[in-house]
Amino acid sequence: TVVALFSNYLESLVNMAMRQTPLTCSGHTRPVVDLAFSGITPYGYFLISACKDGKPMLRQGDTGDWIGTFLGHKGAVWGATLNNEATKAATAAADFTAKVWDAVTGDEVLTLAHKHIVKSVNFTQDSSCLLTGGNDKIIRIYDLNKPEAEPQEITGHTSAIKKALWCNNDTQILSAADDKTVRLWDRNSTEVVKQLSFDMSVSSMEYIPDGEVLVITYGKTIAFYNALSLDMIKTVDAPASIHSASLHPDKDFFVAGGDDFKLYKFDYGTKEELESYKGHFGPVHCVRFSPDGELYASGSEDGTLRLWQTAVGKTYGLWKCVLPGEVFMLNSK
Amino acid sequence: MRSHVSVLRLPRGPDPNGRGFDPNSPRFIALCPTTISASSETGTDSVQIREEQRARSALRESFLRTLIAMTNKQVQFHMHERVKVEAKFGASDIDVLNVQVSELHTPIGVQKEALLRCQDVISYSFDL
Repeated sequence: TVVALFSNYLESLVNMAMRQTPLTCSGHTRPVVDLAFSGITPYGYFLISACKDGKPMLRQGDTGDWIGTFLGHKGAVWGATLNNEATKAATAAADFTAKVWDAVTGDEVLTLAHKHIVKSVNFTQDSSCLLTGGNDKIIRIYDLNKPEAEPQEITGHTSAIKKALWCNNDTQILSAADDKTVRLWDRNSTEVVKQLSFDMSVSSMEYIPDGEVLVITYGKTIAFYNALSLDMIKTVDAPASIHSASLHPDKDFFVAGGDDFKLYKFDYGTKEELESYKGHFGPVHCVRFSPDGELYASGSEDGTLRLWQTAVGKTYGLWKCVLPGEVFMLNSK
Repeated sequence: MRSHVSVLRLPRGPDPNGRGFDPNSPRFIALCPTTISASSETGTDSVQIREEQRARSALRESFLRTLIAMTNKQVQFHMHERVKVEAKFGASDIDVLNVQVSELHTPIGVQKEALLRCQDVISYSFDL
């Protein structure tokens, strides 16, 4: 209708005119080092944050409202993830364990003992298996239906593993380690299929199943690769050392954050830096787009998570589009 | 001259007294079938639900009564890593996540006042 078009036009004017208001989620008492979103569930989507205070938290994804804290780890939590349905959570910690949790009740379901600090955890699409990786340089696959069984082990990395992710419909595994390599493994043969080597340590890795894109950060660079072939798609350099980046679900933007405390938003197609935001009081360790792409969340050394709007000024979650001046929206009912 | 985007309110923070996961949230009620909810009662299993609720209530009441009975008594705590300690029980917090004890006898000495983390406790015993 004419009214709908007019109100869309007004909202886009508002987007140009408004300044980003990040929503700060407090509660953690130490640096936030990892965060992950669930998929979209009938109850919305959810966000889990890993923190050096040892107490990972679950939040409602679109508002940042705290839902609960997973209590049990006896050391810093380095990695956290949710399954698609947000019914299970997994965490990786400095107490040499990975834990699986019921994400509805907050109860600890499983403790998986490791021989060193665990850094990364990742569920398969059907939540039947958990991938772990950490300082003992070994990737492990746990069958969550048979938790007492010995995990399948994948060796090869020569330094601590930072991140291990399922890819290619859970038939392959991508891992990034301090040995400055990213490796693609076949799950069944446990052999390495392909390997990327860098001049410096990879700071983060994100896998986008839709389109098979791998986002890797190192130094000031955000690099995009084809996740199946490990062919490079493009690289973009940021003004500061980047710790984490995330590609928007529609692949039109990506966001990055790092040492200079700022969040950067880039156009994926043109590689142009579009916006940058100050707000955190410490380096940004992790950043991720929500599954609907409407917001992105950042975790920082300052102990907070912040939620940022993709389209600034749009009505979504706790943000409200308020039109300036005396303009009223006509209700076509 | 640009103004900031308005927000309805700030995100809610953690509850200082508990670990959250509200059992009355729609998601909890829908996804936790063992939670007893009046709205899920049907003719066929309402008897079972009532009996289960009776049993749950009885167990919960006994547990709470033991906490009361333990106040100021000497309690032996069996904890992980084969640790056994003894102390005078004071109180627990509302979610029974921690218990406050006095004169805690440990292998490395007596602690005048201490908090024991309930998740570290396997069992405890005391004389009535």
